[in-house]
Amino acid sequence: MIRVQSAPFDAGTEQQALLDGRTEVGAVVCFTGLVRDFNERPEVSALTLEHYPGMTEAALQEIVTEAEARWPLQGVRVIHRVGRMAPGDPIVLVAVASAHRRAAFEACDFIMDYLKTRAPFWKKEHSASGDYWVAERESDQRDASRWEG
Amino acid sequence: MTLTHLNQRGEAHMVDVADKPESRREASASGHIVMRPETLALLAEGGLPKGDVLATARIAGIQAAKRTHELIPLCHALPLSKVSVDFHLDEASSRVEVSATCRLNGRTGVEMEALTAVSVACLTLYDMCKAVDKDMEIGAIHLDAKSGGRSGDYRRGDEAAKVASAAPIVTGEGEAGEVSVGMRCDQESPCVRVKCLAELRESLGVSELTVSLDDLPTADVGGLKAALVERDPRFARLSEGRVLCAVNQVMAVDATPITDDDEVAFFPPVTGG
Repeated sequence: MIRVQSAPFDAGTEQQALLDGRTEVGAVVCFTGLVRDFNERPEVSALTLEHYPGMTEAALQEIVTEAEARWPLQGVRVIHRVGRMAPGDPIVLVAVASAHRRAAFEACDFIMDYLKTRAPFWKKEHSASGDYWVAERESDQRDASRWEG
Repeated sequence: MTLTHLNQRGEAHMVDVADKPESRREASASGHIVMRPETLALLAEGGLPKGDVLATARIAGIQAAKRTHELIPLCHALPLSKVSVDFHLDEASSRVEVSATCRLNGRTGVEMEALTAVSVACLTLYDMCKAVDKDMEIGAIHLDAKSGGRSGDYRRGDEAAKVASAAPIVTGEGEAGEVSVGMRCDQESPCVRVKCLAELRESLGVSELTVSLDDLPTADVGGLKAALVERDPRFARLSEGRVLCAVNQVMAVDATPITDDDEVAFFPPVTGG
């Protein structure tokens, strides 16, 4: 299940929903990304996330489909927020259920790496010294390339 | 959005309309009164003790419209050019539907007059029928439409329809993170819709534009970039550094072909998560 929304989410509720009524799941890994109050500059007071509606959902679905092809997964839930957020707010949730922990850990890691490099989201940070668009990180590209070849 | 009947201190005041231009104003409103089926049947056959119910209620509604300014404190007295009050007996719902239309050439709207006409016509229906039915219920009194004047035309339900049709297609103008409706090609000739997203939108100052297919030296993304540079040299930015492109929301390269009504988006490297 994939959701792009401006409203906050509760990781506990989402994980519960993923597992609701199921007893074959042996492991669930639930990652939550948060807004930090420092990034390229210190004193980040807010973050605005823009996306490309339509393409965003398609890109996320493609990433999840690829993860399901690579690992034996029993359920995946991806939520990404858009709009304005404050430090401490949750931005992204990736919850992966599997029979065994290794698949759940790896698939969750994979989905986050691909999400950061392939899904059309853009961050603009609002800081004490002004607003700026966040630049791509080479380390994110490196992380994503781990899963290739 | 402000309330024109309140001044800066929040006190009620009558709006000065002397300087407003005159225009043709029209408003219609409706409501209903629900009654027992037997009451409705008596009303239909003229068997109620007070006589012709509908004719009386119609006159009451018209009179009320003309006297709205005496009932609603901050309303102006208006020389209405037309007031009509109509009834529809709805046997399926066991109710009388009441509608009213008011019109004038003037400086203020006539929606209060139309609403008052409906309200008083409903009250009169109650009064005329209460001897046989005390359970009657008046409801759903609302403005259906108004036209003329500075605030523009209004039609009930339009707002909901507008919201429904404004399903976001792509990020566009406005605040970052918000979305605007994707436009359609408004040209007769085949064209492509171009969008610039995020930082690219802000630095180029362009959100959305259309380009005629005829202007493309080659019918692909590379040709589109050339046509855009021809239009404005600043679009050279699209070929510099890391600018990504999607055609119909699928990642594309310069050689990706473009056809009529395609949506082509240019954007910087992604930074979500």
